[in-house]
Amino acid sequence: MTSATEQTPLRDCELDGWVETVQELRGEGFDYFDWLTAVDETDREESPGFDVVLHLYDMTPGAVRGTLLRCRVPEGTPVPSLTSLWCGAAWHERETHEMFGIEFSGFDDGTGLGMRPLLLPDGFVGTPLRKSFVLAARASKPWPGAKDPGESGDTPRRAGRRKNLPPGVPDPSWGPR
Amino acid sequence: MTVDLPTPRVGPLQDAAPKPMRLVLNWGRRYSLWVFNFGLACCAIEFIAASMARHDFIRLGVIPFAPGPRQADLMVVSGTVTDKMAPAVRRLYDQMPEPKYVISFGACSNSGGPYWDSYAVTKGVDQLIPVDVYVPGCPPRPEALLHGILRLQDKIAAEQLSTRSYADRRRLAGAVTRPAVQEPGAGATRVPVAPVAPREARS
Ligand code: SF4
Repeated sequence: MTSATEQTPLRDCELDGWVETVQELRGEGFDYFDWLTAVDETDREESPGFDVVLHLYDMTPGAVRGTLLRCRVPEGTPVPSLTSLWCGAAWHERETHEMFGIEFSGFDDGTGLGMRPLLLPDGFVGTPLRKSFVLAARASKPWPGAKDPGESGDTPRRAGRRKNLPPGVPDPSWGPR
Repeated sequence: MTVDLPTPRVGPLQDAAPKPMRLVLNWGRRYSLWVFNFGLACCAIEFIAASMARHDFIRLGVIPFAPGPRQADLMVVSGTVTDKMAPAVRRLYDQMPEPKYVISFGACSNSGGPYWDSYAVTKGVDQLIPVDVYVPGCPPRPEALLHGILRLQDKIAAEQLSTRSYADRRRLAGAVTRPAVQEPGAGATRVPVAPVAPREARS
């Protein structure tokens, strides 16, 4: 296995050559599918979209090596499914689909049920790992922690303390908190 | 197939029982709590530690690892309750016979804990079921659970039995009665709201 100091080699590819590049890697001996996920890069200046990331292993005894493959996908563009290469990719593609809303064309996990959610509770609407997904709990309930200065209400709020809201935290237009 | 079984309740006879009798009944119940551990995350390990030889809550009359909720008097929810798990928590609570008690063990089941902001974590198990004792901590030490059990036993000793069950007389957290939040303006992002199990309005 790769140690923490040793970087796993990373390759980039275009969406058109996604399946071909994966097949190429598989031909090079990386035939063990580890995981597939996505990264929300929709706030990038150039070519915004999602990075679909794939991790593969070559499990040759004594010479195990891993590799990463990355592909920038514009929002709304379907990605060719890898379920024809590895049946186990179905779970990862279903999770990436429900978390990021990325479509996978040609998805087939042998059940005939098509693309469907994997982990989220029934009836959940939305794609929670997108940066645009608002975690609205703070708008509906008071935050029980009150760790930041001025948040607990016992000290006057200091002016000029500008807060950068992390992605997902509802902005003031959601109402008072 | 679902079978509708009546919930066992404390009968009217106990209501009519003379005071010494009630004392004996309360005394009996507080030292015979069959506990059902709803272990959902790391806190469950502390619960298990509390049941082992060093802390040993069996000496307080708490008998762990009931075969199922139908044999249990006390449910200890230890760990992170997620919205996906919430219906199961509620169903198993409903299967417990009356009188039944709940200890919420740890920050996660008290309020959502470190995952309070998450889209998938229930903000406290008291949104689903009435809780008798909250044990704070992340995770609480086994001693904290022992203290929580003692507090619950004090509560049971002071209990007046009546035909209305003890669970019915308690309030739920007021926060759950708030309506769902609406997103300002039109948009496609959805508002994650913890599911609230259907229940009758309680006075
Ligand atoms: S309160 Fe802390 S220790 Fe307990 S389940 Fe939550 S995160 Fe784990």
